[in-house]
Amino acid sequence: MINHVTIEEKVQETPTVFSMYFKWDMKVMPGQFVMVWVPGFSEVPMSLSSTGERKCLTVKVYGETTARLAALNTGDRIYLRGPYGKPFTLTEGKKLLIGGGSGMASMRPLIDDRATGIIASRNADELLFADHFKEGQAICVTEDGSKGMKGLAPDALDKLNLKEFDAIYVCGPERMMYAIFQKLKGKDLNVEFSLERSMKCGIGLCDSCSIDGFQVCRDGPTFHIKALEESREFGKTKLLSSGKRVYF
Amino acid sequence: MTADTKLGCRISENIKIQFSIMPVMRSLKTTAGGVSFENPLILASGILDENGYTIKRILEEGSGGAVTKSIGMEERDGYIPPVVVEHENYIINAMGLPNPGIENFGEEIKIARTAGKPIIGSIYAADPEGFLNLAEKMVDYGVQAIELNLSCPHVKGFGTEVGSDPVLVKEIVKTLKGSIDIPIWSKLSPNVTSIVEIGSAASDSDGIVLINTVRAMAIDIYARKPVLKNTYGGMSGSSIKPVGIRMVYEIKKELDLNIIGVGGIESAEDAIEYIMAGASAVQIGTAVWKYGRNIFSTINSGISKFMEDNGYENVSKMSGVAVQ
Repeated sequence: MINHVTIEEKVQETPTVFSMYFKWDMKVMPGQFVMVWVPGFSEVPMSLSSTGERKCLTVKVYGETTARLAALNTGDRIYLRGPYGKPFTLTEGKKLLIGGGSGMASMRPLIDDRATGIIASRNADELLFADHFKEGQAICVTEDGSKGMKGLAPDALDKLNLKEFDAIYVCGPERMMYAIFQKLKGKDLNVEFSLERSMKCGIGLCDSCSIDGFQVCRDGPTFHIKALEESREFGKTKLLSSGKRVYF
Repeated sequence: MTADTKLGCRISENIKIQFSIMPVMRSLKTTAGGVSFENPLILASGILDENGYTIKRILEEGSGGAVTKSIGMEERDGYIPPVVVEHENYIINAMGLPNPGIENFGEEIKIARTAGKPIIGSIYAADPEGFLNLAEKMVDYGVQAIELNLSCPHVKGFGTEVGSDPVLVKEIVKTLKGSIDIPIWSKLSPNVTSIVEIGSAASDSDGIVLINTVRAMAIDIYARKPVLKNTYGGMSGSSIKPVGIRMVYEIKKELDLNIIGVGGIESAEDAIEYIMAGASAVQIGTAVWKYGRNIFSTINSGISKFMEDNGYENVSKMSGVAVQ
């Protein structure tokens, strides 16, 4: 069923990322996603970056459909269906959020005073939501070194005592998540990853987004590190839009 | 509540029932379309059957067999989303036959086969030669039967466009039956004037699969546009069950062929209704969307209980009993 909502506010977060705020009378949990349709173009899966009464979609422009979506303004209509998927398991305790690129969008609802963030991007301009963390609790990592540490998200892990955190949440490109997974696995840490695969139906039917027989759209997108430790596909193989298996 | 917790509740309820009443489990074994299954539920083509690991999981979680996604000669991406329209009682889909091409599908079948249950290879082509080439490959990959997609309602030049021509259908089935040693199933479309005419043309098949999706579409009144990128799609789900029941019944009554029923099955009662209309086994697809992969074990338990309560020794004793 398609829902129709109206944009109340638009905020430019980075040169290529925009947040669209709207009211939507629907219960959504952090980590869940919606399928956003841009009539005449395509439909894309997007996590909600705000899940209270006022919802938010944070759009990163990476193609024609997202460019159209990002070009919408206050008063314009958004077409969406959902929410879908398994949310993050919430914790009251101390948490670490690791976001690469636009990955921090799905974790923004988890940010509170007890949250530490590792925010990674290509350069200083594209760091997303670093200013939402309590002062001193945001670790920025940039590939070009234009702000914070020079390097990639996993590099920042070495500076932290990971045992301090009751939960660790990770969202970003699969290569980044796999590198983080390699560092965190087998250490008895409570880690959840939000996975991204080629998604088409969003409702657990088409098998496009499957990993190890689980559907990212339905059994995920959030997966506990324990489930991924048994995975034969995570970080290794994935299916293209046609279903052809390729190696990372 | 998460999907996992719901699944957990359902599993524990089932275990509780099994231990408290300790029913004598009736044999759910059945033979349909020349293939033996440990239970009469088969995963329908197009649903959760592109990735070998998914097929394997579905089989391990209770399905008696699985039909693969329809595979053609060439790799195809399928349509751009939206590819589904979701409604309370139905789904309209236009996936556009996405598939990696037959050369790339062997690995998925190899993974799926490790579950040790029958895999039926679905294929689509425009002519008898095309179907034959694909079927030979599927035989090499070790499938137990071939399902001919004569009914996809939304791709030009394939599916229904082939399957609504009785002469062509007869020629395709004849070509394959003459060259392929494993059973051949023909999946027919409800989008024809006379299902008996097409059923008759496909009557040399070892199994007739009825029905594929019903050609349909939806419009968003605010966008003032068709929702599916392809405009037209195929409707599945509980809303189409009466159409499927009618066609299974009609083919059983008029032609007495071996039938695998499919279309809108969500419960044991639905499956039994198809079986009583004349099916030897049934396929389940869209119900996975509403009830999850657990649907297979839930329906199997329900069929077993019905057979116990009503004195049926096996599935074949129920098949076609309503036909008069």
